[in-house]
Amino acid sequence: MIKIEGLAILLKTFSLTDLHIEIEEGEFHFLLGPTGSGKTLILESIIGLHKPKKGKIWIGEKEVQNLPPEKREISYVPQDLALFPHLSVRENILYGIKAKNHSLKNYDKYVDSLIQVMRVGHLLDRYPANLSGGEKKRVALLRALAPKPKLLLLDEPLSGLDPSIKYEIQQLLKTLHTSLHPTVLCVSHDFEEAFLMGDKMTVFINGNVEQVGTRDDVFLKPRTKQAAQFLGLRNLYRGKIFGKEDHVERSFIDINGLRFSIPKGACQSKMDSGREIDLYIRPEEVMILREGKSVKESLKRNIFIGNIIDIANRGRHHSVFFQDGEGKISFEISIPNYAFRNLDLSIDKQVTVALRDESFWVME
Amino acid sequence: MTFRYTMIGAAICIFIFYFGLLASLLFSTSLTGFWESLAHPSTLFSIRLSLIAATLATFLAVLIGLPAAYALSRFQFRGKQIVDVFLEIPIIMSPIALGASFLVFFNTPLGEVIQRKGIFFVFEFPGILLAQFATIAGLTTRLMKASLDEISPRYEAVARSLGSSSWQAFYRVTLPLTFRGLLASVILSWAKAAGEFGATVTLAGAMPGKTETMPIAIFTALASANIEKAIVLVLILLILGLVALYAVRLTGKLYRYD
Repeated sequence: MIKIEGLAILLKTFSLTDLHIEIEEGEFHFLLGPTGSGKTLILESIIGLHKPKKGKIWIGEKEVQNLPPEKREISYVPQDLALFPHLSVRENILYGIKAKNHSLKNYDKYVDSLIQVMRVGHLLDRYPANLSGGEKKRVALLRALAPKPKLLLLDEPLSGLDPSIKYEIQQLLKTLHTSLHPTVLCVSHDFEEAFLMGDKMTVFINGNVEQVGTRDDVFLKPRTKQAAQFLGLRNLYRGKIFGKEDHVERSFIDINGLRFSIPKGACQSKMDSGREIDLYIRPEEVMILREGKSVKESLKRNIFIGNIIDIANRGRHHSVFFQDGEGKISFEISIPNYAFRNLDLSIDKQVTVALRDESFWVME
Repeated sequence: MTFRYTMIGAAICIFIFYFGLLASLLFSTSLTGFWESLAHPSTLFSIRLSLIAATLATFLAVLIGLPAAYALSRFQFRGKQIVDVFLEIPIIMSPIALGASFLVFFNTPLGEVIQRKGIFFVFEFPGILLAQFATIAGLTTRLMKASLDEISPRYEAVARSLGSSSWQAFYRVTLPLTFRGLLASVILSWAKAAGEFGATVTLAGAMPGKTETMPIAIFTALASANIEKAIVLVLILLILGLVALYAVRLTGKLYRYD
């Protein structure tokens, strides 16, 4: 297991006070944060290029924060890849094994299998200047994995690629992770990347860890509004708790004078009356009710009548923007294309929407 | 178009100015006189002395300049800005002033001890080395720093994460990548050392057969109205300089990876 405990970095341009990350063996862990939040500096401190002010780093049982980079058994793929331009692809790949004075024979089979998975067999005698963007990424990944590091650090592995190559590298990383199970810490500002590839993630904003959790934890249950905003979540509202229905374990929340009945499971902490909270309404859990169709009892708690104010075709689904009749709240509803067609929706059409219990998430 | 012609005209003027100057040298010498002056033992001595001294001075300047350039390019340390400014001392200071400073230094107690117990510099061959070294060390460091600055430190970071020590990362990755830049710096430094006059003549004097380098020999030839010898030496220095410049251009073509 990789453990980073209380890491503090103090540089002229950047400071970080207390970073904790735990990564299980074979886990693909994302460190997610906005551009310019110092993610690369964190990676460079983990490698050992900057001396942390405080904190400990364990690689397995070994404490490494005082070791030089070459003794840490961490491979690094920087954003610009830094393939050695004066070495052929083959020499690049074998660099780590040779630098560690390991016998190439012991790595033969492993490196061959990597070359196959990465489909770089035909590139071995070329030089990096003669490779395409996708090929360079594959070679850089292979070079990092060849010496069997205990931790692989990736810095924005999919940034700056054309969509088709991005998809290819994404699939490759997935295949690689499924077949070889390397332990990976990947920094990125792209939450979609993290959602598609990460097992677990640490959300890091303004020098603070906002949330650590599995992919579903983070995306479905953001801990704070800052985390939710960074993750690109819409439908975030400021509200106030004003009462409880204890026998059914529910609370009422007031948003702009509208009342929402929220189940206990949608809250992380105690729902004390009078407390101000941030509410997230999950767009994909809101239903647009078909006219004349009976409504389940459980849905009747949060029903609103209003109009469609805008519609956006998102390709795989539609986003319908709803505003209640009194103009007190508007939110986005995400519906599958077939449902959109069946409901015959258009701008200004009056609709009735029901918010399932799963629609709500109350943040700290 | 007037703008374009004005600019190109200026470029051509500069070319004519220098070319005319060089052509006048060729006009003023005859082939037999040229060979006689060239074959003269004192001329050959000056050429040999200049080549040896410039090569040794450049070697010394690289020996200290390369690690210093690396430090200035890669590390943050207290006083870095001051060190950087001091590299330009030989550029802003007149060479004669530099040579005079050495003469003053060798008259201080420390200077006298160095001369008595170590190496004698004043009016001796080591004096030539010291004067040339002093003139080029700052330049060599500055040029090498510029070429190291062009190589992303990320290469070394990756090399180190892959298991190389900082020394190994330097000679396996940074050094080959910056080789042509470093080579160009060495050639330019060497050419500058070979042409050095002011500091050398002040510190090592102008003793024929002992400390008379090519530029000093030009000066003494002119002083004794030996125009033929002066022209030969000027042409040789010029050829050496042009070869050096051409070599610098060639290094740009070698080792180009991207």
